[in-house]
Amino acid sequence: MRSGTLARLAVAGLLLAATAACGGSGGDAADGKVELRFTWWGSDIRHQATQKAIEAFQKANPNIVVKGEYGEWNGYWDKLATTVAANDAPDIIQMDERYLREYADRGALLDLKTQKDLQTADFEPASLGAGDVDGKLYGLNAGVNAYSILANPSLFEAAGVKMPDDTKWTWEEYAKIAAQITEKSSGGVFGSQAYGNDEAGLSVWARQHGEALYTPDGKLGVTAPTVTSWYQQLLDLQKAKALPSADATTQDMIAPLDQSMLATNKVAMGYWWSNQLNAVSKASGKEMKLLRLPSVTGKSTENGNYYKGSMFWSVSSRSEHPAEAAKFVNFLANTTEAGDIILSDRGVQPNLKVRAAITDKLPPAEQAAQAYIEDIADELGTVPTAPPPGGGGAQKILQRYTQDVLFERQTPAQAAEGFLKELGSEIAG
Amino acid sequence: MTIRTALKHVALGATILIMLYPVIWMVVSSLRPGDEIFREPGLLITDLEIENYTLGWNALGHPFSHYLMNSALVVLGAIVGNLVSCSMAAYAFARLEFIGKKFWFAIMLMTIMLPIHVLIVPQYVMFSEVGWVNTFLPLVVPKLLATDAFFVFLMVQFIRGIPRELDEAARIDGCGRARIFLRVILPLMVPALATTAIFTFIWTWNDFFSQLIYLTDPEMYTVPIALRSFVDATSSTSWGSLFAMSVVSLAPVFLAFLVGQRFLIKGIATTGGK
Amino acid sequence: MSAISELSTLSKTRAEPARRENLAAYLFLAPWLVGLVLITVGPMLASLYLAFTDYNLLEAPTWIGVENFTRMFADERLHNSLRVTFIYVLVSVPLQLALALLLAVVLDRGLRGMAFYRSVFYLPSLLGSSVAIAILWRQVFGGEGLINHVLGWLGVAGRSWIADPESALWTLVTLNVWTFGAPMVIFLAGLRQIPRMYYEAAAVDGAGPLRRFANITMPLLTPIIFFNLVLQIIHAFQAFTQAFVVSGGTGGPSDSTMFYTLYLYERGFGKFDMGYASAMAWVLLVIIAVFTAGNFVASKYWVHYDD
Repeated sequence: MRSGTLARLAVAGLLLAATAACGGSGGDAADGKVELRFTWWGSDIRHQATQKAIEAFQKANPNIVVKGEYGEWNGYWDKLATTVAANDAPDIIQMDERYLREYADRGALLDLKTQKDLQTADFEPASLGAGDVDGKLYGLNAGVNAYSILANPSLFEAAGVKMPDDTKWTWEEYAKIAAQITEKSSGGVFGSQAYGNDEAGLSVWARQHGEALYTPDGKLGVTAPTVTSWYQQLLDLQKAKALPSADATTQDMIAPLDQSMLATNKVAMGYWWSNQLNAVSKASGKEMKLLRLPSVTGKSTENGNYYKGSMFWSVSSRSEHPAEAAKFVNFLANTTEAGDIILSDRGVQPNLKVRAAITDKLPPAEQAAQAYIEDIADELGTVPTAPPPGGGGAQKILQRYTQDVLFERQTPAQAAEGFLKELGSEIAG
Repeated sequence: MTIRTALKHVALGATILIMLYPVIWMVVSSLRPGDEIFREPGLLITDLEIENYTLGWNALGHPFSHYLMNSALVVLGAIVGNLVSCSMAAYAFARLEFIGKKFWFAIMLMTIMLPIHVLIVPQYVMFSEVGWVNTFLPLVVPKLLATDAFFVFLMVQFIRGIPRELDEAARIDGCGRARIFLRVILPLMVPALATTAIFTFIWTWNDFFSQLIYLTDPEMYTVPIALRSFVDATSSTSWGSLFAMSVVSLAPVFLAFLVGQRFLIKGIATTGGK
Repeated sequence: MSAISELSTLSKTRAEPARRENLAAYLFLAPWLVGLVLITVGPMLASLYLAFTDYNLLEAPTWIGVENFTRMFADERLHNSLRVTFIYVLVSVPLQLALALLLAVVLDRGLRGMAFYRSVFYLPSLLGSSVAIAILWRQVFGGEGLINHVLGWLGVAGRSWIADPESALWTLVTLNVWTFGAPMVIFLAGLRQIPRMYYEAAAVDGAGPLRRFANITMPLLTPIIFFNLVLQIIHAFQAFTQAFVVSGGTGGPSDSTMFYTLYLYERGFGKFDMGYASAMAWVLLVIIAVFTAGNFVASKYWVHYDD
């Protein structure tokens, strides 16, 4: 008995020691230089570009050494959680909107507004909101994105269907066009990919109906009838053969970008983030086009869209060198030197001056994505709040209910209720 | 007889073809231009593309040989550790009578029943307290201390299959336990040792999770981490490079197996037995 | 339990050799014991402690008693993951072991080029946990995969087998059976340990190959079969990597491949609920322990040791 209690205390002590103070991250190199650890996820192309940016920064700041630690998406989050738990987090962290508040609300991230070395004066104002939690800036936008439809004009043409005027189109028009393409295409081409893969789609639908996925105080803001109507429309689309079969859609959800139905020219439209235009075009060998999301009213100013941060720069609250870390983030975000290297790899540059300076250096598809982001600037609604803690699981929950609807294992109403209940308990707990 | 042998070869060959389709497809894909990989379902190569190999080799911060070397170091340490420490523990469990034997054996089995995902955080805290994070020590030292209970159990089963008369005879000749272990038991359990060495090689070579967690600096990355650095589900992935480097990383394990499996054959059956 | 009974049988009057054997045994066990105390036990106890806490990884754990365990009764996804895992264990383990044993016996001796065949049959297992397996499995069982091409020749319309909730689990069972290399190698090593003179004696007695297999190979191989059975069951209960990689980390479609460990991982790392995940891990430990203990009890009736 006694030894059991002792062991428990010892273990608890160890974890407490790790989670409480005593700062573990960072450190100083032997020669008096400040050493920063910087972690990000991505593919080999991003690793190379980011490494180059690090070198440029070190050249300008010889007293700071930045060690890059990179990895792939899934492992990235396991590792980050583990290192934060052990009080061994990297100083600079590439952050995703889904996890921003998960970490920020639990005190793992630094309020960037406290750092005078970090400027945001040249930033697109609409791009700063998403990293802002209760007036504190926990994540600096590293790239601007918008949820959109990517269309393959060559498949429209092959089917003899005209591209829509995306500033005016409604969901009815979208459904009609998609069904037409399926009907008039040969070789198993379908009109559109299904939505319901990303909670951004539901978020936009909610905003079109005067609601929001989450309320500013971190509760569920969308109602069951709204989710039901969204799922009902999806099911109707599938029954009208505007979408591929349920199993094809499900496989598409977990397929890597280059193997998706859009990138393999099997659907004419799909729901994507605007910064994926270039990658999809490259993979498919066809020039894709970005379309605004359809709306209920037929006015693109009312389609509920918003700027999302494709990713964020965050600094660990336990960093021993917050000033140097902020300086590095400032270099990445605000200098054309870094902009020239990173270009639009992380999304459209949120710093307007950097954006203007690098436009000519972008490949055509990236320029088109940037032009699209600028075109919709005047149509956007308010910036939605970052998802509350627990919101990181929303996508997987949504995908599961979408699959149940498409396979007709649940009715739209059942799925809507189940989804809201599950997500609700997730963000409450 | 020769017809039967030929038939046997045909049957084995056919089984291999079916079973190896995915493997062959991967090798073929590694030799195709990137945009063709997912458009061509067949296995025929129209134009050979070795660029995947040269590109993949240099795609990450270091040439791929760097990650191969790191993996080799970890694997080597793990093999030595497992062979020495697990065989000692197994001998005690299989042949010696001692207080608390069943208790310790049950504890040992219990240690393989917990999923790593709930152990990794406390383990990381522990290793980070002693400053071992971003070294190979958290990956190698546990093996030196026989924490891979799988192999202890494996060897126990093998030692129990060795006729006890053999150690009795050695004991009558005046051998101590250490000498019985070294002179009698170890030579007779070569197949088990070979199995341990091969599995340790393969599992350590492929082990992603603990290497991911403990190695933070790309300088220290091993093959599984390097391979995953090619993949980005939200953007385009260089599949050609990924497959090419997968083939490259498969080669050493395959060779290790080809060599190691010769020792599997050296059991009692060939050394003569009693 | 048995430690106490053994303690009681040890009286001081017992012969000196028993004490020396004790000492020798603990010397041989020393590395393992050190590892157990320094490396294994700490984290295990930590996870046991965490099972009774609310622990989100980022803040210090708070004690909540048995709440994590009571929550499990209402957790339908947990019940589903148990169901999926049991089907997986009960179907894939016997199939995999049967295939491994069959090929081990075929590949044991006789043919030229066996070394090559043995190595080639191991290849799938080398790939089994690699990142590439996700793509390869889609290449076989996906909508455009090999299976559907073959079905197409036969005029049957296929579907995406990995994306249909009815069939996805079975593709993973196939994947587990496909990676039969490890038990096969252990069987091979076991076969090699059977003294050849037994077979020679049996041949002299006029026993045919089947009788030799039934009367010599099987009984003498039972310790190894037992080992494989125990370990593969433990292994299958903890199945993670393959399902994780093939389903893109989702356990989908519709949770149809949501194995217990996958769900545990999702709670722990995906939803920052490490307290609940730890509780789940200890429940799994109890389940596995019951199966293993059952195996050990049953083994008294069918496993033959030479000692």
